Parts: sequence; C-alpha cells; structure tokens
Amino acid sequence: MFAVEARGLVKKYKTKTAVKGLDLSVEEGELFALLGVNGAGKTTTIRMLCCLSTPTEGEGFICGNSVLSQQDEVKRIIGISPQDTAVADKLTVRENLIFMAGIQGFEGEKKADAVEKMIKIFKMQDCADQKAASLSGGWKRKLSIAMALIGEPKVLFLDEPTLGLDVLARRELWKVIKELKSRITIILTTHYMEEAEALADRIAVMVNGELKAVGTLAELEALTGQTGLENAFVAIAEGGDEV
Amino acid sequence: MKRAKIFGGRCLKEMLRDPLSYIFCLGFPLIMMVIMTIIDQSIPEGKGPDIFHIGNLTAGIIVFGLTFTMLFTSINVAHDRGGSFLVRMYATPMKSTDFILGYIIPSFIIAVAQTVVSIVSAVIVSLITDGDIGISVLAGFIPIIPSALMFIGFGLIAGTLLSEKGAPGICSVFISLAGMLGGIWFDPESTGGVMLTVSKCMPFYYCTKSTRAAIAGDFSFDAFLLPLIVVIACAVAALILAGKLFKTKMKADLA
Repeated sequence: MFAVEARGLVKKYKTKTAVKGLDLSVEEGELFALLGVNGAGKTTTIRMLCCLSTPTEGEGFICGNSVLSQQDEVKRIIGISPQDTAVADKLTVRENLIFMAGIQGFEGEKKADAVEKMIKIFKMQDCADQKAASLSGGWKRKLSIAMALIGEPKVLFLDEPTLGLDVLARRELWKVIKELKSRITIILTTHYMEEAEALADRIAVMVNGELKAVGTLAELEALTGQTGLENAFVAIAEGGDEV
Repeated sequence: MKRAKIFGGRCLKEMLRDPLSYIFCLGFPLIMMVIMTIIDQSIPEGKGPDIFHIGNLTAGIIVFGLTFTMLFTSINVAHDRGGSFLVRMYATPMKSTDFILGYIIPSFIIAVAQTVVSIVSAVIVSLITDGDIGISVLAGFIPIIPSALMFIGFGLIAGTLLSEKGAPGICSVFISLAGMLGGIWFDPESTGGVMLTVSKCMPFYYCTKSTRAAIAGDFSFDAFLLPLIVVIACAVAALILAGKLFKTKMKADLA
C-alpha cells in the first residue's frame, strides 16, 4: 500500500483545467517534491489529496483511504501546512499548538506532551509564550508546520513551505524538514529547484497541470542529459519528456 | 461538540485580545450611557424625552452594545475566511456545525458579559442619579438572550458572505439602522407615522422594546411578550440562515 496515490486526478474549473489526469504514488516515509512554476497545478493537487477540493475526475488515496468516500479517515491521518501561514495570530505559539492538539483529539497529558515535543523539535522554547502575530516569517512557518505535525499525521503536506523566506530562514526550515524525513511521508510543493534538490527523495515535475516526469534527481538528469535539477527541469518543462 | 468548544475557546481568546472589542463592546456603550444621563439630568424634569431616563436608557444601551457583538462576530469569521486558517481547519476532522457553534458560543459569552456590565453600570448610575431602576432590571436578560443570538446570526451571515473589509462595512450600516430605527436613541412611538412604521419593520425595534418593558417590569402582551416573540422568531431565522449559508459556503470552498 502506498502512503499517497493518485489515479487519473483531474481538476477542471469553468475555463481552465488545473490538473490533467495526474497519476502518482508515494512510498511510506518518502519525501516527495512536486516541482513546477506558478500555476502548474501543485497546490490544486495537494488540495485534492487533502480533501480540500473535489476532483472532477479520478481518485486519490491516503494510506489506502479514498479522498472521495473516506474523508473522515483521511483527515485523521494527514497534516497540512498551507501556502500562507495559517496560524491564530492573537494566540501564543504554545496556545496555537494546544488548540491544534485539541482539535486533533488529544487530551490531558498526551496533549501537553505533544505540545512540548513540538516546541522542542522546532526549537521554539524562547518564543513559546509569544503571540504568533509578533513572530518573523520563518518562525511563523515553523509554527505552521508544527501545527500540522502535532496530530502525528502519517502524511504531511507542505505547500511552498519556504515561500518568501530569506535564505537563512529557508535553510533553518530545511534542517527541520530533513529531520522529519523517513519518520513520516512528506509531500512538498515548491518552485525552488535547490529546495527540491536538497530535500526530496523523488521529484515530480508538473507543467500546465500535467505530470511531465517523476524520479530521483539522478534519474531526471539521466532522462534529460542535463546536470543539476534546474537544467533538467527546464529541459522537461520545454521538452515534454516523461518517465 | 468537543471540537466546537475548542474552536470556540480559540475564537473567544482572539476576541478578548483585541483591544477594539473592549472599546466598542463595552467602552462606547458605557460612555453613551454616561453622556445621555448627563444630558437627561441637564434637562428640567418633564421637558425632555423619557427615553434618556436611566430606566429606559439601559435597554437601548444593552441593545446598542449587542450591535457591536455582531460587528466583531463578522470580523472574526471574515478574517478566518480571508486567510488560510480555515483551509487548515477544513483539513481536520472538524464538521461545519463545529465551526458554526465555535463562532456563536464565544460571541454569546461576550454578549452576556456585556449585558451584565451594562446592567451593573445602569444600577450604579441609577443610585447616583436617584433613577428609576428596580430589581426588574434583571428581567432584561430574558429578551437579551434571543436578541444576542439574533445579532450574532447577522454577524455570522455578514462574515460568511463578505470580505474582511466588506463585513464591518455592512455591520456599521446595521449599527446605524439599529441606533436610528431601533428605539435606542429615540422612541419611534413618540414620533409615530412613517418613522414608526419603518421601525416596526426592523427587528432591532422589538429587541429594545421588549428589553425596555422587561426592565420596567411591564410583562404585558403588547409591551413585552409580542416583541419578544418577534425577536425569538428573528433570532431563529438569523441563526438558521447563518448556519445554512456557512455550510453552503464551506461546501463551495471545498468543491
């Protein structure tokens, strides 16, 4: 059983088809990057897999649970950190985590332990009692990911987690994501080549709603005859090769 | 229900940590109470309108305060909808009823607290000015419960349908309408005519009328019971509509 599976996912809006028959499968514990330029269909794909958008056609599965017919089960085993930092601004870091743990059904000691664990993993001890509104962009992103993780999801969706962050904050966040690797399945969308290169086990390239290529960096380089992800990506995006 | 309680707790904290909620929900109505009492005290007995006597004014002040609960409910909902916060929450096991109750409960708690503060202040003002407030002031709570729910329903509707900028705008229109036509700052029955007819078409009028009657200890059908029935009907309608709209909007967001 795959952690994430998409079979012929299509998303059509009135005048546009955002995702065109997407097929992919992600192994348990894998960090899978969906790479593409703005408007490639990455966020729409994630939304469909998180039950945030109904596919026009096709089907998605999270750990064998259908995103169409088993939404309650899916929502219990996923965590999402949306593109914009979705935190409660007037609550402190700790209160945000307590809130999210409660929503995920944690109580008493389990809830307190989960909160402290997240504060420790994300090294938020110094800002734990600071209101979210006063955090920098990087810390807000960390909090957003911690909130997604606190429910101990089997699959974590990170939608453009480092968008708009400075290089130091980005590297810091990469470190956290790397530490999570293999303990949990992560689907990450990004349009930063170096991010996919640094973090992902496998990379999927999306262009205009279509999955053009999937593979490890070495496989994508071999496919395109190019060195480096950026060159391989450009070749795929312009050439339309598929693996 | 557990998730609604947790979500409501978060909404309550966010509302209580906004200084503007204190200024508008408590400060402004209380300042108006003091100003109107000073005006009332400055007018020779029998020369001015009865509406500014503390016994009558209290009902208006309470209903005026509730209009700001509507405003802050709408801001809360519109703010959540405007950002990614609700997107995150939609991906959790929360149901639409959890969201709706989660928005209603904290606003209702604030409305009740606001009413308590207004009544205590009115009693103090009454003692200082030798006013006409008696123990029946406590009966003011009876019509305030459906009135608060009605205003919260309006706030939820505005926050669901409009943006973070649009929702407060439309609520300000409602606040002005309530002030002018709801019998808060003047008694439409003393003017009669078109003014009274238009006022009677507004639910606010019945909130103030039933509260004013309850505080005065007048529980007659015309003064208290009939307006109370209208307020209850409006509250039920507003909450049902708000719930349906929120569910529809949520479904559309997830389409």
